[in-house]
This record gives sequence, C-alpha cells and structure tokens, in this order.
Amino acid sequence: MKSISKIENPTRAGKLPSDALRSEQSAPRSAQFALRSAQFALRSAMRESSLSSCLQCRKCTSGCPVSARVDVKPHELVRLVQLGQRDEALTSRLVWECTSCQTCFTRCPQKVNIAALNDSLRRIGLASGRQAMCKTAVPTFNDAFLRIVRRLGRMYEIGLMTAFKLRTLRLFEDVAKFPMMLLKGKLPLLGRSVRGRAGRRERKELFKRVADRQNHAGRGGTTP
Amino acid sequence: MSYAFFPGCSLEGSARDYQRSTLAVARALGLEMPVIPDWICCGSTAAHSTDPLLAAALPAKNLLAASKMDSSPKVAVACAACFSRLKLANAQIAADKGLRSAVADSIGEDYDGAVPVMHLLEILARDIGVKAIAAKVKQSLNGLKVACYYGCLLSRPASVAFDDVENPTLMDQLIRAVGGEPLDWPHKTECCGASFSITDKQIVHRLSREILSMAKAAGAECIVTACPLCQMNLDLRQKDIEAQYGERYGLPVFYFTQLLGLALGLKSSDKELGLGCLIVDPRPLLARFERA
Repeated sequence: MKSISKIENPTRAGKLPSDALRSEQSAPRSAQFALRSAQFALRSAMRESSLSSCLQCRKCTSGCPVSARVDVKPHELVRLVQLGQRDEALTSRLVWECTSCQTCFTRCPQKVNIAALNDSLRRIGLASGRQAMCKTAVPTFNDAFLRIVRRLGRMYEIGLMTAFKLRTLRLFEDVAKFPMMLLKGKLPLLGRSVRGRAGRRERKELFKRVADRQNHAGRGGTTP
Repeated sequence: MSYAFFPGCSLEGSARDYQRSTLAVARALGLEMPVIPDWICCGSTAAHSTDPLLAAALPAKNLLAASKMDSSPKVAVACAACFSRLKLANAQIAADKGLRSAVADSIGEDYDGAVPVMHLLEILARDIGVKAIAAKVKQSLNGLKVACYYGCLLSRPASVAFDDVENPTLMDQLIRAVGGEPLDWPHKTECCGASFSITDKQIVHRLSREILSMAKAAGAECIVTACPLCQMNLDLRQKDIEAQYGERYGLPVFYFTQLLGLALGLKSSDKELGLGCLIVDPRPLLARFERA
C-alpha cells in the first residue's frame, strides 16, 4: 500500500486535485497495476495543463457531441474532480460515452485537457471496478481489440466482432450487415499474424514489458 | 517523391477501397509509397483509453521501423485515426524523456520521436501542390457539389493538426482543383461517433444524422472523407439513420482519393478505385458527370 500512497500525493504534478483520483485502498491486487498506470497517465496529462485553471466557461460543454445525452457535462466533470467527488466523476456517463473527439481540449481557453482527463478516469474506473456501474460495453470492446493486436499484430475485424458479441451476448445486433460487407469485399475472412510466431512472441513481450514498466512507474520508479 | 506508407488495419479490411484508391492516386501523381515492413496496429482508441505507455509504444515501434527504411524520411498515413495516434506519440515521446525511456524499454530500442508523420491530404495539397494536381486533371468533376468532411482526428488537437482546427480547407482545395464545388457548410469537423459504431450505435446514429442532414441541407450531392471510421459510419449506417429519423439523404460517401482518382483519369469501373465497395450506390451520380 505504501507504493500507492506515493501516487496519491503526486507532488510532481503540482496541481493535481488528488482526492477524486485517489486510489481505492480496497482495490484488488490485480487491479492495482492498472490503477498505477492510470495515475501515471494522469500525471502526464497534468503536466500539460492544470485542472484548477478551469474557468467554468462551458465552452467544452457547448461543443461536446455527447453533452446532450450525458448526466455530467464536461465542465461539470472538471468541477467534480476539482472538488474530489471521486465516485460521481468515475460513474458519470460522460467518462464512457466520450467519443475522444478532442473538441473540449481544442477549444478550451485555459488548455485544460479534458480528453486526457477522461482517458485517465477510464483507467481509474477500470482499476477500481467503477466502470461496472456505468453499463458500458467500451472496456470489453477495448480489451477484445487489444487482445487481437497482441496476438496478430493487426486488427482482424471479424475476429473482433465475434469476440465482442460473445462477451456481451449482443449476438444479433448488426448481423444483417455482415453478408453485405462480405459481398462488398470489406471484410477479409481470415486474420493473419504479422511475422508469424516470432512476431507473436515479440508482441507478447512488448505488452508484458509495458505492463511491468507501468508497475515500476507506479512504485515511483524512474518514469516521471 | 517518396514516403514510407503506414496503411493501418482499416485499410486492409473495411477500408480496402481507401487503400486501393490511395495507391492509384499516388501512381498517377508519381508518388512512391513503399509500405513500412511488418507494420502493426497503432493501438487506436483502445490503447489510449487503456494504457498511455502502450498508446505510445505501438506507434513508436512502427515509426522506428520506418526510420530504418532507406527510401524515405517521412511517413505517409491515410487513415485519420492512425495519423493522429502516430503523430501524437511522436509529440509525447519528443517532449517527455521519461516516456521516451519507458517506450525504449518496451520496444527494445530507443526512438526519439523525430520521424515526420504526414497525412495524405497534407502531402497532396502541400508537397505535390494543388496547382500541380489541377494540371493533371483528365476528367473534371464538373461542378459536383461536395461536402468535404474532415471529422475529429484530422483536425484536432492543435498539436497534430496541419490545417485550421475549426475550418480546415485542404480537402476543399483539392476538390476545387479537380473541378468539384466544395460547399461551405458548418459540420466539417463535427464528430461522427467513431468507434461507438460497435459499442453504442445510438451515439453514432445521432451524431452521423446531424452530419448527413446538414450536408443535405447545404445542397451536397455527396460527402467526401479522409477517415475509414467516418466513411463507415456515414455510409454503412446511412439507411438505418434514414429509417430511424424518417429522412432521406441518398448521399454517396467517398474517400477523397476516389474522387481524385476519377479526375486523374481512372474510370469509375476500375477496381483500383474500389467504388464497388461503397454501400450507398454512387453510380447514378457518377454517370451524370462522366457523361458531361
């Protein structure tokens, strides 16, 4: 736990309102790596801008493509994080329904990187199990996606769709599109591994090193 | 001119027509585009939502491979999403020594973030030049009314953008150079919903509907994109969106390379242009101006 408390007080990030992003003491061990990695990212994002400089001008919210359908608007999310309202921030629909379009960050007069903040909140949400309260299929999709990248090196769309459907039991959604796409030559039937087995070993190693490295960073290692 | 080409996963699958037409246009303009050997996925949104180091390491591995090719110091990307990931990774690695060393550790070799990454639009409009392309037109688009749609990842954030973030014009310039009429319309850089196409279709339906109906209202005969995700959402889902909202658009959604290819002398029936892959049938529209 000592390692985590070090991240809880990321003084190097300077202006990080740490409360909202404080790691869950009760988080399962398996999730702690992800948590550390998320906080590592948050620190990087914080270097670029400071959440505390938000003026609450709502320019982000005016331009946000999903703000009409989400419960917490982008400017409100920033305020929640400033105030340390951890659960409200992590379980807001915005975190998982954000399309990463970058309009908020691009237009912000104070250069608050809300898109990067959202990336970090997603990772913290995952690590602390909060995404389960958001009824989102996005983490499942991302996980299925990255597994294929690790195995094959490149996306294999039929494989991704099959894995996603099986894991979410959304078996019949869009099935009518498949024959049409096959007919139009838009879906190659077979996935192929880049550089075969050697490539697969190499990618497994890359993913493992990323994970190890993030663990190390989380313990306050050499990574900033 | 030569560029190391990073095709990206979509261009080998659902956006095969983009890959074909890109290479066809490159040939017509005398561009050499050797493919980066053994390139792998850039990680896309899945990586940056999951792990920032992975989101930098996957692009870095590809850019490192590009730096070892003897042909070219610059990387050309056609997919807007890959372009964004590669260029952002460059900026992050160059600015952050800690990240650079973490990436080096992950991919087993140091990469400094210095290989230039360019989108195909930028290469055609700036390196080759709008005038040079205009001079090679064999079949003018004859005033075809085009809504140039850039989407998010080509135009934002400012650190990767190569054009005005709110009102990009490079695609408009290219379309005008080959005889089309790019329309002034307000939804050039709105979001189509991107990868929510699979996880939450309603987001895509709502956002793409706004783009389709605005293009229609502006008098567009077709939409032109430079992103596989945008093209897929606007084309593949157009019928469903029409049904859901009780509207009718009938707008073919091209890759900009497909229209450029036509103007540079390829025939609409040529497999190289991949027009047969489009879901909303472009033939009635093309027949009109090919006859003219």
